[in-house]
Amino acid sequence: MTAVAEPAARAAPRLSALSAVRLLPALLLLPCLLWISFFFLLPLALMCWRSLASDGFAFETYSVVFTSPLYTKVMWTTVKTASIATLGALILAYPIAYVLTVGGAKLRALILIFVLIPYWVDIIVRSFSWLILLGDNGLINKILMASGLIGSPLHLLYNPVSVLLAMVQILLPLTTVTLFGAMLRIDRTLIAAAKIHGASGWQAFRTVFFPLSLPGVYGAGLLVFVLALGFYVTPALLGSPRETMVAQTIMVEASQLLDWPQASAAGAVLLVITTSLAWIYNRYFSLDRLWGGSNT
Amino acid sequence: MNELGGSGNANGAQLRLRNLTKVFGATKAVDEISLDVPTGTFLSLLGPSGSGKTTTLNLIAGFLTPDSGDILMDERSIADVPPHKRNIGMVFQSYSLFPHMTVSENVGFPLRMRTSLSREASRHRIAEMLALVQLSHLASRYPRQLSGGQQQRVAMARALVSHPRLLLMDEPLGALDKKLREQMQVEIKRIHRSVGTTVIYVTHDQSEALTMSDVVVVMHQARIAQIGTPRALYEAPANLFVADFLGDSNLLPARVIAVSGDRVQVELANGEIIRAARGTFAGAAGDRIIVLVRPEDMSVRVSREQGNGLNLLTGTVKEISYHGDTFKLDVAVGEQSLKAKVARGEGAGIELGRAVFLTWKFEVAKILRPQDESNDSLAVAGGEQ
Repeated sequence: MTAVAEPAARAAPRLSALSAVRLLPALLLLPCLLWISFFFLLPLALMCWRSLASDGFAFETYSVVFTSPLYTKVMWTTVKTASIATLGALILAYPIAYVLTVGGAKLRALILIFVLIPYWVDIIVRSFSWLILLGDNGLINKILMASGLIGSPLHLLYNPVSVLLAMVQILLPLTTVTLFGAMLRIDRTLIAAAKIHGASGWQAFRTVFFPLSLPGVYGAGLLVFVLALGFYVTPALLGSPRETMVAQTIMVEASQLLDWPQASAAGAVLLVITTSLAWIYNRYFSLDRLWGGSNT
Repeated sequence: MNELGGSGNANGAQLRLRNLTKVFGATKAVDEISLDVPTGTFLSLLGPSGSGKTTTLNLIAGFLTPDSGDILMDERSIADVPPHKRNIGMVFQSYSLFPHMTVSENVGFPLRMRTSLSREASRHRIAEMLALVQLSHLASRYPRQLSGGQQQRVAMARALVSHPRLLLMDEPLGALDKKLREQMQVEIKRIHRSVGTTVIYVTHDQSEALTMSDVVVVMHQARIAQIGTPRALYEAPANLFVADFLGDSNLLPARVIAVSGDRVQVELANGEIIRAARGTFAGAAGDRIIVLVRPEDMSVRVSREQGNGLNLLTGTVKEISYHGDTFKLDVAVGEQSLKAKVARGEGAGIELGRAVFLTWKFEVAKILRPQDESNDSLAVAGGEQ
C-alpha cells in the first residue's frame, strides 16, 4: 500500500512544479492578452461582423470592394503607390544600412542620429514639411523664380511624385533600421574569407554580402510595404483625388457617408492582404530572424 | 598574375617577418617580431590568448596593416598588397564557409575569383580537392547540412584549391571534440605532405602544436619566447615561460653551489643538494636559478634506490590520479609539491600518504634563469614559488 502511495506522493510536487513552469509564461502574457482582446481583437471581430451584417447577412459589401470601379481603382493606386514607395525606400536605405554596418563606432552613432531624428517626428509634421518645400510659394519655387530659371511657379504638389517623395522619406528610417539589424547579423569573417580567397572588395560584396543580405531586404520590404498600404495623412495632404489610397476611402465611407458595413469590408480586405503577405514571408524566410531570432 | 593552373603540387612559399609591430591603442599586440619560415614548413604559432599569435596571422593575411616592419613572401614585400592579391589560403576558426553556396561552390570560390580556368577545368580541380579531403559524396550539400568535421574539411579544400603557396590556419580544430580533433590533426598532416604548401598554424593547444609542427614558435606578451622544433622546445626550453607553458613541469628555485664539467650542483630551498645538467648555463656559484624537471622524468619508489648520477628526494604522496596509461602523483617534499608521472605498473603499489623516494637522472634536470633577460615578467610565470 505504502509502496504504491509513495511514488505518487513524490510525483505530486514535481507535477505542480511542472505546471507552474508552464503557467508562468501564460501569467506574464495575460495582461497584454487581455488588452489586445478587448481593444483590438474584439473591435476587429465587430468590424468583420458589421461588414457582413448590413442587410440581413450578405457578402454584398465585399463584392463592391472587388467589383466597383471606385474600389478597383483605389486598390490599384494603393498597391502601386506602396510598391514604388517601398522600392524607393529600400534603394535609398540599403547604402545607409551598409555604411552603418561596416563603419566605425563614431560614424555609426552619427548616422543613426540622422536616421532616427526624423523617425521621432510625427508623420503629419513630416508631411506638412513637404508642403513648405513643394508649394507654389514654397522654398523650391522661390529659389527657382529668384534665380530666373522659371517665370511662374511649377506645380509640384498634388501629384503622384509629391506623394511618393514624402512616403519614401517617412518610410526611410524604419527601412534603414530594419536593414541594419539584418545586416549586423551577417558574419563579417565571411567577407574576410572571401577576400583572402581572391575576392576584391566589390566582388566580396557582390558574391557574399549582398546575397546574404537579401532575406533582410525582403523582410524590410514586407514590413515597409504593409505600412505603406495603410498610409492616410500623406496622400491626403500631398496628393490629388487621383492619388487617393484605400485608407482615405475607408475614412470617407465611415465618417462622411456613414456606410460602416462598406468601410468594414474594405478594412477587412486590407487586413487579409497584409496578413497573407506576412504569412507568405514567414513561410519562406521566417519572420523572427528580422528581430534576431534563429539563424538560416 | 600568379602561377596557377599547374597540375602538380604548388610548393610552398618562403615567408619572412621583419621586426613586425602592430599596436592597438596603447597595447602592443605584436612587438618587433622577426621570423624566417623556409619553404614547405609546417610552423605553429603557439601561445596563450592575447600573446599576439592571431594578430600575427592577420598581419600575414593582410587583414591588418603593420605599424612598422615588413612581411616578405618569396623575398618580395607584401605589406602593401591587399589580401585578395596575396595568393594565400586560409582556414578560419569558425570555418566561415559561405552559407548560401554548396560545398562545391564554396570550394570553387577561389578559382572563380583568382583564375580564368574553364568551367571544365574548375570542375575537375574541385573534384580533385574534394577527393583529397574525402568529401566527394557531399559536393551538392550546403554547409549547414554538414557536421563540424565535414565543414572543417570543406574549409581545407577551399583554402587549398587554387594551390596557394601559403596556407594560414587559425585554431582550425578548436570547435571539434577531442577524438575528431586528433583525427583531423593526422588528416591535416597528410594533406600538408601531399600539397607541400607552407603552413602557418595558430593554436593555443600545445599538444596540437607539438604533434603537427616542424617548427613551433612560442609567443608570449606580443613577442617570441622561443623558436624551435617541438623536441627542442620541450627538452631544452630557453626560459621559464616556455618550460611552464609546454607540458607539465616542476620548477624548483635553487642556488648554485658549484659548477664542474657538465654538471651543476645546486641547493634547493629546503637545503637538499641536487645535481643538474649544465647545458648552456654560464653562471657561477651563488647564482639563483630554477631547476626544471619534467614529471615523466621522475621515478617514484617505495624503497630507497641507489645509483650513480641519480638525484634523490624523499617525500609524502599527497594526491594520486589515474589516467589509464599513467598515474599522476603530487608528492610533498618539504614545503614544495612535486609532480610525478609514472607508468601504470610502477604506480600500482603507491598509496596516498605513503613516504616515497623520488629519483631522476641528473641530466634530465635543466637549469633556467629565474629572470629572462629579454622579458622581466617571465620570472613570475613559474608554477611553484
